[in-house]
Amino acid sequence: METTVVGSYPRVSDAPDGQRLRRAVARWERRELSDEDLRKVEVDVMQEVVREQASLGVDIVSDGQVTRYDPISHFAGKLEGFEIGGLLRYFDTNTYYRQPRAKGKVRWTNPITVDDWTTASAATVAPVKAVLIGPYTLAAMSANGASNDLLWDLAGAVGNEVSALAHSGVPRIQIDEPALVRAKALPREFDEMVDTVLEGRRRAQATLFTYFGGVGHLLEDLLALPFDFLGLDLVQGASTIEALRRADVTKPMILGLIDARNTKMEDPKEVAKRALALRDRVPLDRSYLSPSNGLEFLPRAKAREKLKVLVYAAKIVREVGE
Amino acid sequence: MTKGLLTTTVGSFAKPEYLQRARNRHASGKVSAAELDRLTLQATKEVIAVQEQLGLDVLVHGEMERGDMVAYFAEHMPGMQTGELVRSYGNRYYHKPIIGGELQWDVPITVATWKYAQSLTKKPVKGMLTGPYTMVEWSFDEHYGSRRDAVLGMAKVLHKEAQALAKAGAKVIQVDEPAIHTRPEEDFDLAVKAMEVVVKGVDAEFHTHICYGDIPRIYPGMLRLPVKQIHLAFKNTNFELLRLFEKVPFDRSKELGLGVIDVHNHNVEAVKEVRDGIRKALKYVPPDRLWIEPDCGLKTRTPEEVRAKLGVMVSARDEVRGAVRA
Repeated sequence: METTVVGSYPRVSDAPDGQRLRRAVARWERRELSDEDLRKVEVDVMQEVVREQASLGVDIVSDGQVTRYDPISHFAGKLEGFEIGGLLRYFDTNTYYRQPRAKGKVRWTNPITVDDWTTASAATVAPVKAVLIGPYTLAAMSANGASNDLLWDLAGAVGNEVSALAHSGVPRIQIDEPALVRAKALPREFDEMVDTVLEGRRRAQATLFTYFGGVGHLLEDLLALPFDFLGLDLVQGASTIEALRRADVTKPMILGLIDARNTKMEDPKEVAKRALALRDRVPLDRSYLSPSNGLEFLPRAKAREKLKVLVYAAKIVREVGE
Repeated sequence: MTKGLLTTTVGSFAKPEYLQRARNRHASGKVSAAELDRLTLQATKEVIAVQEQLGLDVLVHGEMERGDMVAYFAEHMPGMQTGELVRSYGNRYYHKPIIGGELQWDVPITVATWKYAQSLTKKPVKGMLTGPYTMVEWSFDEHYGSRRDAVLGMAKVLHKEAQALAKAGAKVIQVDEPAIHTRPEEDFDLAVKAMEVVVKGVDAEFHTHICYGDIPRIYPGMLRLPVKQIHLAFKNTNFELLRLFEKVPFDRSKELGLGVIDVHNHNVEAVKEVRDGIRKALKYVPPDRLWIEPDCGLKTRTPEEVRAKLGVMVSARDEVRGAVRA
């Protein structure tokens, strides 16, 4: 059992130089800093974040999504046909996102996340995964709702981004679909949409990740989708554990057993115990342990501590025997 | 004077530059606590004076001593610890506190500041509290382990604070709940229950302020809150939110706080647009139960913008009042 993160990572810290990105963005907003100079700071912080995860022993890291204004409008705002509106609460978090509204056909025109992945990968020998927000969540968070036309447009757009990433040699691509925790059933034609999303992935491994709740009622359907890994929030979505106990999973999983929304530190032994309780049901030797969702809901110092707990818990699982 | 269409504000005022500078310098140890206190009182005095000049009916002390509506209480409440920075959106961050132990109340947190502000004016000054659901929702809970226990624990502490304010003479106490719509289906009963705990047996009139978020999902449920006045932001949707009252009329036993000034916009509203908004609202709520206020706290504006925006608010109210009387 190895370790990974879900995606986002705190971009500022309470350390003396921990707020350089915050200051740079503020200056850029006031037009006191050029796009190039802002990018320099972004790159610097992104590489710091990547190295931090790797140095703590995380096996597969992310770029920390430190350049994203929010999880939705960063991607939606760069698609043709979307207009970005006012702030709305992001799920049940204390964070907000700008709501996109489709004005017509939504279309992908240029790579959106490739530069960040390339920059992040250059900073470490640890593998860096690319993380995209999926079409279902993009549609659900937009003012238009998950209409079938919009879903197909977005499946195409995310598919184009997947192709662009794969074309640049990205070996691991993760699609986040947190809105699925609110779905009673998978939308009609969802498997065809997933085919569209993954069509250009070449040899890249693909992961589907859901968080901010449980997906026990969808588990069989999610496992049947053509992803190589399924990532689950097993903290806020602890109810999914019951469904996992009843299932016989051959697909490797990413088990989100560390609470990424609370500063309280888990006992690594307890986390290991929870993972080991699934060993008859889940192929632990090919699976990963992770936080329950992105770490940016925690202060930086706490995110670091959580990753230490994560790495230690995975070590215990390996020692006890997968 | 025609009864009704009374004016007040939501709580926070813009901090003058000298105070902001002193707060920053205090944080880095360059200004003493005594000096910061002196400047805080000076700024409070100015906030009261501005409201008197504008002729507002119920005043606030302006929250010159508070950096953030949750962190301030966290700094003074046994059981809470001040936290480190987390992002709320874009390039905005806040210090998110931690509930690290049993929440307790030992001495009043807000009474001395309220007393000082009230000593400066004959008009009523509101006691200002952050509600139990919001206090917990905007903190990390490392102690209680269940949102219900934490929220009710917080409500007991805030009840004691409300009691202390009432004993000191506060006639109106506002309990802000901007996070109340975080989980409307799952948690609304809990938020109502918590508010009951806060207000029970306290001899004062209670107001609440709820802002932004998915208001339609908590209406008409919010009418169950045991408060006299519910204040909502209306200007930022250009009064579209008033449509809520078409299906289910606003409660006859409650007052509506009508937000008529956008606090996230530097542009000063025209008197006409505010006046028209008030007139629209009068179709749903009569003047004796309608209060005229900004959408939210004013701390994100400059002191000049605050004065201009509140001036427009009062002029618009006066125009409507003149017409109502005629």
